Amino acid sequence: MYPKWLWPVFAVPGVVWLILLFLVPFYAVIGVAFGGIDPIFMNAVPSWNPAEWNYDSMLETLKGFLPGNSYWTVLVRTTVYVALALTGSLLIGYPVAYYISRHAKKTKSTLLALLVLPFWVSYMMRMLAWVNLFSLNGYINKFLIWSHLVTTPPDWLNGNPTSVVLGLIYGYVPYLILPLLAALDRIDRSVLEAARDLGASPASAFYHVTLPLSKPGILGASVIIALPMFGDYYTPNIVSSSPRTTMLGNQIDIYFHGGPQPAVGASLTLLLSGFLAVLMAYYMITIARTQKEMHG
Amino acid sequence: MNNRDSRIERILNRFNRGDFSRREALRALGAVGLVAGAGRLLDFQAIADEAGKQTGPGGIALSRPDKPVTLPLNGTPIKSGMEPEKGPFQIFNYQDYVDQKSVIDTFSKKYNVEVQLTTFDTMDQAITRLASGSVDMDATNIVPDRVAQMVAGKLLAPLNHDYIPNLAKNIFKSLQNPFYDQGSQYTVPYNLYATGIGWRNDKVKEDIAGLSNPWSVFWDDKTSAYKGYVGILDDDRESLGMAMLHAGEMDVNTEDPAVIEKALADLKMTVPISNPKMNITEYKDLAEATTWIHQSWSGDLLGAALFYMPKGTDPSVLSFWWPGKGKGTTQNDAWALLASSKKPVLGHLWLNHLLDSEVAYNNFTGFTGYQPAQASINADDLVKNQVIPANLKNVILTEDQVGAGSLQYCQLTPKGMALWQNAYARFSSGA
Repeated sequence: MYPKWLWPVFAVPGVVWLILLFLVPFYAVIGVAFGGIDPIFMNAVPSWNPAEWNYDSMLETLKGFLPGNSYWTVLVRTTVYVALALTGSLLIGYPVAYYISRHAKKTKSTLLALLVLPFWVSYMMRMLAWVNLFSLNGYINKFLIWSHLVTTPPDWLNGNPTSVVLGLIYGYVPYLILPLLAALDRIDRSVLEAARDLGASPASAFYHVTLPLSKPGILGASVIIALPMFGDYYTPNIVSSSPRTTMLGNQIDIYFHGGPQPAVGASLTLLLSGFLAVLMAYYMITIARTQKEMHG
Repeated sequence: MNNRDSRIERILNRFNRGDFSRREALRALGAVGLVAGAGRLLDFQAIADEAGKQTGPGGIALSRPDKPVTLPLNGTPIKSGMEPEKGPFQIFNYQDYVDQKSVIDTFSKKYNVEVQLTTFDTMDQAITRLASGSVDMDATNIVPDRVAQMVAGKLLAPLNHDYIPNLAKNIFKSLQNPFYDQGSQYTVPYNLYATGIGWRNDKVKEDIAGLSNPWSVFWDDKTSAYKGYVGILDDDRESLGMAMLHAGEMDVNTEDPAVIEKALADLKMTVPISNPKMNITEYKDLAEATTWIHQSWSGDLLGAALFYMPKGTDPSVLSFWWPGKGKGTTQNDAWALLASSKKPVLGHLWLNHLLDSEVAYNNFTGFTGYQPAQASINADDLVKNQVIPANLKNVILTEDQVGAGSLQYCQLTPKGMALWQNAYARFSSGA
């Protein structure tokens, strides 16, 4: 009824967007990583031709990732923070998404609207609000003192890693709940009914049916928040500012913010992208396997 | 410069641009008779003429307080006696660094012109945007260690001082002919500051100023009592420079890798002691007591006292110390006009307006907290008139504390900048 070319045409805007707003800028980063600098202004001069690429910066940057060197320390620290923040986000976000998907009937629309509210406020403003709330004389400490839970106000913002991890959770958990909610909503309820009919308890049905079926959603939501977390530099700056808590994004920021070595910043960006590509590959292989198991 | 030096310079310029590999550059230098030291020359990207001067971007000699430089002229200044153009007039500046009411609006009213302010976060960002043409400005704030770079890139317009009588009339004599721009051919000075230590004397027991080496407060084990309440400036030159001054190394423009490496090692020692925060918000943090000891710019202490103290907290809780001329760093920034501007007369009038005593005073006391380079500014008068608290009298610099003989962070070669930047990145990595 419809010509064969019609449906692929729907993909054209997305492909054009991908090329113009992702692939071209990404190639520009590659050009900077393997290019030179303007001798007067020390701006990056990208090299577009691979035959003319200068590998010095990349090789030097790679050495920094050898165990014991500075980038290795920062990469390990960043990975630990992201893993902890991801775990925390899942522990908070999964029950919320599960409740809205399965049990919120009359309140579902209201809860969905509340979930979307954080997106109305920029990430930067939400982090600054966090700083005000958790400052020494902020409302959180005032409440803790008033409720006699503590006698001296804790210093949340004195450069400790807990604050950074909590800041990451706070900043990114809204981005996890929505895709997870969509994935849970897609689970066929008849499968759950069948499990219950066959004698499974609610907990057993959750563990053996819901949880495995929501695995693609968990992975997808995790990817959505983990990837930007790896490049985050704003959160550790705002809630900590200590050398003990800098993430890889902070190192990239130093070199991109100025100075004669933009190629180092670009090299760090490419190496981080390579690391994340490995994680993405795991995600895609797992999804493919799960799809195969589900559909035979 | 003799013929051999010219050939060496051409080889180095081609090496800098990437036209020569290191091996090719070494071979070429050997061909002109420079064999011993050729490698080091490439490492530092400098040429040594008879005066032993290093050069920065564009081959302009690196200026120092004791080695003033006359910058090459890009074109000729505008003629005297011309009428100002119509607006809008575009100025380029850090955020919150020029008062809308006392400076911008008064200029607008005086010359019947709309002034539009565009801001930048860092000087690197500013220069990138100006060089790329992504912004079209008439006048810009600038720091001395980037003036030669912008002149080399032909971004700045030479000045006609006939339009700027306030420069000779009001400004510190020592800054009318600064080492980085002899003859003030391109710039006029704006604000001054010293780098020292700011602290809350109601929270910190120690008399920091009374210590034999006050910088040592960042390295003293006793400072661990203030863990989490200590701050260091988030700036590669200032932070590593502080470690150098603490160790008695006074050449804060060094490009010696060993000296920079030692400063890095020293700076890392502060982390287990006091876990310092790296930021430039001490004007707020000291006022709000979220930081108690902070490496500070003098203007930020005044800003804290004048504008950021919480209700009920007296500014007398703030204290400041800096080492003094020749032992601690001072800095001034400046304003310049862009060569691409179509409103050069208005630009000159803007510079003259900034240097007006009343305008500069109101900008300082009503908004920025940073001392302008005005000869009329006097610490005793400011205290007497209750403009600044007596405990912060020492943030006001006198004329003899700046200019020749002072310590100042100056332009480095690209290799030197890379050494400092890499050291700072390693410090901030926490490794």
